[in-house]
Amino acid sequence: MSEKKRKKSIKRWALSIVSVLAVMSLWFMITSLAKIIPPAFLPPPQNIVTDFIRLMGNPYVGNTLIGHTLISLQIVLGGFFLALVIGIPLGIIMGWFKRIEAIVDPLFQLLRPIPPLAWIPLSLLWFGIGLKSKIFVIWLSAFVPCVINSYTGIRLTDPILIRAALGLGVKRQWDLLREVAIPSSLPIILGGVRIGLGAAWMTLVAAELLASNAGLGYMMQMARRALEPSVIILGMLIIGILGALMARGLRALEKRICPWVVKEER
Amino acid sequence: MSRSLEKILDQIFQEKVFLSISSVLGFLLIWYLVTDLLGLMPAIVLPSPEKVFFTIYEKILDPVGEEKLFGHLRISLIRIMVGTGIALALAIPLGILMGWYENLDAVASPIIEVLRPIPPIAWIPLAILWFGIGLASKVFIICIGVFFPTLINTYLGVKFVDPLLIKAAQTLGARDKDILWEVVVPASVPLIVAGMRIGVGLGMMCLVAAELVAASSGLGYLIVLGGDDLKPELSITGMILIGLLGLIADRIILKVERKVVYWRKE
Amino acid sequence: MSESPMVNNQLNGKLVALNVSIVYEKNKKSFLAVDKVSLTIQEGEFVVIVGPSGCGKTTFMNTFAGLLRPTKGKVYMDGQEITGPSAERGVVFQQFALFPWKTVFENIEFGLKYRGIPKEQREEIVRKYIHLIKLEGFEHAYPHELSGGMKQRVAIARVYANRPQVLLMDEPFGALDAQTRTIMQEDLSEMFLAEKRTVLFITHSVDEAIYLGDRVVIMTARPGKIKRIIPITRDNLIPERRKMGYEEVVNRREFLELKNEIWGLIKAEILEKHIL
Repeated sequence: MSEKKRKKSIKRWALSIVSVLAVMSLWFMITSLAKIIPPAFLPPPQNIVTDFIRLMGNPYVGNTLIGHTLISLQIVLGGFFLALVIGIPLGIIMGWFKRIEAIVDPLFQLLRPIPPLAWIPLSLLWFGIGLKSKIFVIWLSAFVPCVINSYTGIRLTDPILIRAALGLGVKRQWDLLREVAIPSSLPIILGGVRIGLGAAWMTLVAAELLASNAGLGYMMQMARRALEPSVIILGMLIIGILGALMARGLRALEKRICPWVVKEER
Repeated sequence: MSRSLEKILDQIFQEKVFLSISSVLGFLLIWYLVTDLLGLMPAIVLPSPEKVFFTIYEKILDPVGEEKLFGHLRISLIRIMVGTGIALALAIPLGILMGWYENLDAVASPIIEVLRPIPPIAWIPLAILWFGIGLASKVFIICIGVFFPTLINTYLGVKFVDPLLIKAAQTLGARDKDILWEVVVPASVPLIVAGMRIGVGLGMMCLVAAELVAASSGLGYLIVLGGDDLKPELSITGMILIGLLGLIADRIILKVERKVVYWRKE
Repeated sequence: MSESPMVNNQLNGKLVALNVSIVYEKNKKSFLAVDKVSLTIQEGEFVVIVGPSGCGKTTFMNTFAGLLRPTKGKVYMDGQEITGPSAERGVVFQQFALFPWKTVFENIEFGLKYRGIPKEQREEIVRKYIHLIKLEGFEHAYPHELSGGMKQRVAIARVYANRPQVLLMDEPFGALDAQTRTIMQEDLSEMFLAEKRTVLFITHSVDEAIYLGDRVVIMTARPGKIKRIIPITRDNLIPERRKMGYEEVVNRREFLELKNEIWGLIKAEILEKHIL
């Protein structure tokens, strides 16, 4: 049986590699060799590499590649952590205390359907073009999933576990919350954190496209105006890679914090 | 249940509703106070509730930009529907085939895995470069947003169908091709619809982003215009409408889900 | 009495397994699940396999179902090697495996479509079996609306309606409560009387095995081998067994003697091989 599996695996790898090579060659051909498509429209693949090297050393619209990346990262992480710190406790409290839920929930449901991105112009009006307006919107986008998931996690605590704790002598509400409800909801809460990070990242890109003078989004906008799609694509790839890395990192963290979860995920 | 217990329960229920309603009213009241009565916030920063209300009323009759309010709504609606339609028509069949035929999976997966982490919003500069500011660029972005979650969920649904069902079908005489369409696809419908729901949610965000960054019509355009012209009531109008649109879209998909997945116990 | 490894010209049974061994891999280790088992099942026989948990009963049956290829040895039906699943070897699973998006009617109808049976005839057949399993009125119900016992009845009817020559039943009543189980056993007995098929039945319950089976095959702990085969009907131990109610059969002296014998063998396996 293992022979079969190994052969299957090799075949799969082979097909994947061939597919990637085929796409890259096609791309190369229609841009460089046959020149069917002008470089201002779709850059030849090698341009992306050369631009990468170029931008590592020389500034582009004010900053090197690393400079732009760091600026973007700072803003994202800033807004994101703020959202965690406020959102998770709020969600937990909402989930546990019905009265607080009754007060906060309707407001939450009213504001929730509005996509965080839509707050950008208002945010600019309130906070100006600087850092604050971007952090506000990013905070908002990560805040919502954190609250929702924390709330859901607490609500879905298996009542059997609570009963078991009560039967073992745990009496105070606060202890029950701390010892049973919160740990059991950790997987869901962390799921919300992951969603929040993805949302924060997306919102950052949009915010930087709209109103910024530094960062990866700004870099891409400027490249568009200068008709340099290779830099745009470079930006896209970096954003994609960073996003994927952050998601992986979070998933690894999840496994550490919640080793008891058995997940079947891609 | 004893009568006194019922009375107490009634009280609690009413208390909850009372809390919810009063919190919403409180919110509106504070808003009104801060803007109109006490004049704490200049109208340029935060308009009073009636101003927003009147703006909505006004703009139904008078155009903003080139369209009246419902015109903008219609344009946004068309964009999201076309984008979603194209994405679903591509993602669902591809997901089914990729989940079932290993070879196709091996060929297509690497390309998809490279493109998937790139947030749809990051495609905007490229989309503007390629398609300009018209309908096509918006549809393109929305399409990307809806495509990937739907594709992934469809793929997972097909790939991880309960093997027991497949074995049952085999021992009842069904052949491979029959099994795909008669067993695997119906069994994956719940996941496919779940993917659609996530996809459409993302699509709405993409609509807003695309309309914020590069549009001359639509609800997102209204939001941006409000910011540019220092008329936040316009922005708020746009935000409310987008929120409503999102809610309605979600409700519709929920209804579709309930109809199509009729065999689930709630 | 046990079955010794066969010589080649003994392919004259409905289902024949010749020296079947099955190895499966898990986490890069290989396990011998079934060890050189040979078994012949005659047409119309109801053979029951019992044994301690994990002894490879299901794995062995899967080779007859065509869902698994033996690592060594071969399985045959009517002298032809079994290479894949077929509608002629219907399977009833412990977890029912009903198609949740199809009604009771549509589930039972499923296999008939692939036999090319025209619509009116299909309807007739399905209604007949719905009557047989006493679920009139539930034709258009969905599986999630049914109880466990009802679901399993539909699963059995689905296979029966397809008229396979062989029925392979893998602990079909295992997921049911004791009361439903007893009634299902009586129902199955009745069905078997009404339409005789060749049946291979797996169970944990010794009572069930003696009540239903013509022969009881006792398997050893993993790796599974045949420990003993005990005939129930050949020596006419309990005449007319199938026409009697469960309570009548279970309390007879012959039944209890057989039960002691069989359970004694299984218990010895469990204790010797330290399974629990």
